[in-house]
Amino acid sequence: MKKTNLLLIVILFASSCRKEDTNNFDGPNLNDLFGPFSIIENIKINKNTANFPVDNELFFSGELSKNTTWVISITGETTGAKRTITGSDRILSIDNSAWDGGANTFPGFGLENALIEISFPKEDDSPILYDTVSITNTKMDDGILITSFENGEGSNWSKFNQTTVTGQIECSTGESAKGNCHYGFSGLVPWDWAIGSVMIKPNSGTFGLPATASNLYFNMAFKPIENTGIGNTFLQFWFDEDENGDGVFDEATEDRFIYEYWYEKDGWNLISYKYSDIQFDEDGNQVSTNGNGLPEPSKLISINVFYLANRDNGNAKALIDHLIFTTNKPYNP
Amino acid sequence: MKRKTLTFLLIILANFTIGQQKKFQINGAARGYFLSNNLNLDESLDSVTTRKSNYGHTLLDLGFSLSPNSNTEVIGMFRIRNELGGFWGGGVTFDVRQLSLKGVAGNIVKYEIGDIDLKMTPYTLHNTLEEGVINEGDVFDLRREIVHYDMFYNDDNTWRMQGAKMNFGLEFGEFLREINVKGFITRQRPTDGIVEPERLYGGGTIKIKQSDNLTFGFNSVNVFDLSETIQDSIQYKNNVHTFDMLYTKDINKTTDIGMKSEAGISSTSYSNYNDNRAPESIEDWFYDIALVSHLKNKNLKIQLGYKDVGADFLSSGAQTRRIDYSRFPGLYQQITNNALGRPISYTDVISGNTENSFKISERLLPYFAGYNNMSPYGIATPNRKGIYVNLLRTDSTKFKNSFINASFMTQSRGTGTNNKKQFILLKAGTDVYINDFFGWKKQLKVDLGLRYENTSRNGEDYEKGNLNSTFIDAGISWEFAEKLDLLFGAKLWRVNGKAYVNERNQFNTVVNFDVVDYDFTENTYAAGMRYRFSDKNTLSVQYQIFDINHKTTNSINYGISQFSFLYSLFF
Repeated sequence: MKKTNLLLIVILFASSCRKEDTNNFDGPNLNDLFGPFSIIENIKINKNTANFPVDNELFFSGELSKNTTWVISITGETTGAKRTITGSDRILSIDNSAWDGGANTFPGFGLENALIEISFPKEDDSPILYDTVSITNTKMDDGILITSFENGEGSNWSKFNQTTVTGQIECSTGESAKGNCHYGFSGLVPWDWAIGSVMIKPNSGTFGLPATASNLYFNMAFKPIENTGIGNTFLQFWFDEDENGDGVFDEATEDRFIYEYWYEKDGWNLISYKYSDIQFDEDGNQVSTNGNGLPEPSKLISINVFYLANRDNGNAKALIDHLIFTTNKPYNP
Repeated sequence: MKRKTLTFLLIILANFTIGQQKKFQINGAARGYFLSNNLNLDESLDSVTTRKSNYGHTLLDLGFSLSPNSNTEVIGMFRIRNELGGFWGGGVTFDVRQLSLKGVAGNIVKYEIGDIDLKMTPYTLHNTLEEGVINEGDVFDLRREIVHYDMFYNDDNTWRMQGAKMNFGLEFGEFLREINVKGFITRQRPTDGIVEPERLYGGGTIKIKQSDNLTFGFNSVNVFDLSETIQDSIQYKNNVHTFDMLYTKDINKTTDIGMKSEAGISSTSYSNYNDNRAPESIEDWFYDIALVSHLKNKNLKIQLGYKDVGADFLSSGAQTRRIDYSRFPGLYQQITNNALGRPISYTDVISGNTENSFKISERLLPYFAGYNNMSPYGIATPNRKGIYVNLLRTDSTKFKNSFINASFMTQSRGTGTNNKKQFILLKAGTDVYINDFFGWKKQLKVDLGLRYENTSRNGEDYEKGNLNSTFIDAGISWEFAEKLDLLFGAKLWRVNGKAYVNERNQFNTVVNFDVVDYDFTENTYAAGMRYRFSDKNTLSVQYQIFDINHKTTNSINYGISQFSFLYSLFF
């Protein structure tokens, strides 16, 4: 009988061995998958007036009953700029809903009211929340701005326009990708694809870019308006490098890298590519230049933006804006 | 003179024959099997699928056993199979079914190389019987035997593998009776040279018999990939190490009592996998401890136990299911005008129209919660803990092999919620020999089996579940004329309720839940006749009707009737 008791004690001891795991479970949370949806703490933005250079970023806070997809859409009342923030966490906070004042793509936000809409697409009959924020100062760009055409043409710039083309800086039209001004080309050129170009140069020396090309991105806004469509219009970028440092570009002995960007879609496009990629053509082959053949951004002395369009398609019209170099990642408007 | 010569020749022939019997033996099996199927489905739901489907084959498994010397035996078995309807060799296959070599080295170590059957403990290496067999009638057993024979599913729960095994025993004195050592190594998978490395499975056991009362052992099984058999050298490992013990003591002449237990750990790792879902390492443990008693005067064996199998306890050799329920059956794969995939039903299991495992799997294969939700991976099913009681009455007149099993389990860790599922499982069965009641010589046997399972979980509405599964397994076998049996059988399922079934990825991580809401009956009835030429030689014909009826509107009700003819011979 003693042995039987001993065995029972062993069993009882064994049955208490495993520590009860009440904090973890396997698989996704059933509450998130099938639980009822409700807003436990109302979702709100931390400020209704945004001075981004001072505030850095705004954020949303609130609490839901479950982890589910939420979408915050911010739309510029004047510019039409859009920024979408999505997430699926139950709790919204600075960690998952911060807004640095940027847009998804061009156009960027201006000094305007931004309309906020918060929705929950996976929850049937869920409410849509609205709010507004007033932007009193736009975000600081993280990069080296070449021009946003806000201060007129530079003293060393040069332009080419066909005789029937108008190519100039335009301001206060409400069409700019960033700020108040942009550069526009417009005209009918039935004899040639070349419409016009603008060669942008610093007032002296180079643009002051870093020496490394492999993590440097060139970015620009481009909006084809007329004579559009796949294969009908494109831009040529000429990157001229002053390799001998004499302040003058010599096409016969120095590198001119030509990069083409072909039409992709109507509206503002964000053109963005690594500066080191300009040494290759679309097939990945090294392009032929007259210098050392190496992209050297610190020697960049001019950027020529050349607009071309199908001569058979009538009037050609396009806008460009906000030429900026960024490091490590493409520009975020 | 003629008589003397004849006598001399007879003696020579007899000696030769005896010599031949020692050195060369032939064994095997032969079978003729014909099946005629008929799909019963409302014409308005399905005007496309061909209703009738006939199938059949004859085969011969011819085994040779050669003994070149007293310590060596070479066994080979060839299968010649002819699909009915094949013409002059069309549909004929010729395979090697078994090839093995066994012997005794130095009169000490027994070894076997080639096709080997392996089994260890229920937590290390064990080929668990598929669901739906509680106390099956002969009418179903006849056909199930075919599937089991073809898949090498033996009654002793072994897995057929390719490799080598050996064992030897050492005898000692009074304080330590004997030690038996077994070891094996098998090849589970050759490398494809690109993404799948070569996989081996090896292990062994050291069993120590201390006395007639106490036996204990160490068991180890290990799945492992050989590095450098592919370029990226990904490596999967599953190691299981257990300790088992059986202690019994006679407390009087009619009763003994004791303790039976097994405990162990598993560790599973995925090295150098590019897939970030692959966990680097998973470890867990289990124990299973039971009081056992044998009331000899009542032929009654009692087991009262408690077990706790961790949620991350993985043992490929013990948890591999025979049937993967995520696959479609081989017969009538798609039904209805919308060509819906037909899920596996129990008639497919009986007929062998399912995809059956022929080797152990690193994945916990999908199961059908309506049939078995508590222990889909056998005794070693992970994430279960609780008590169980088993009663077995081994032998008596009129009633034989009577048993009652009851288990009350819960999850070790919740799935999708901290609220854990509770399981209740009751099983009972007996063979009733009606002829013993009336003193008839010819056997009239009734097989009765009952299984009831309930799965429940409390909590909020979105996590509540309550699934009931009732299964009746019955059969009648009546020898109404000499060696001629009438056979009847029924397998009746009634499943209703809601359950959340785990969906796992290839790394056994629960990634989602299939919310099922069943309400159906699934009935299979069979009737037939069997003539027994001998215990190993039978001829049977039978007719089986199966139907499944859902009370929910979004599922398809249908049936399949089958006529089968089976000639079976083992020699």
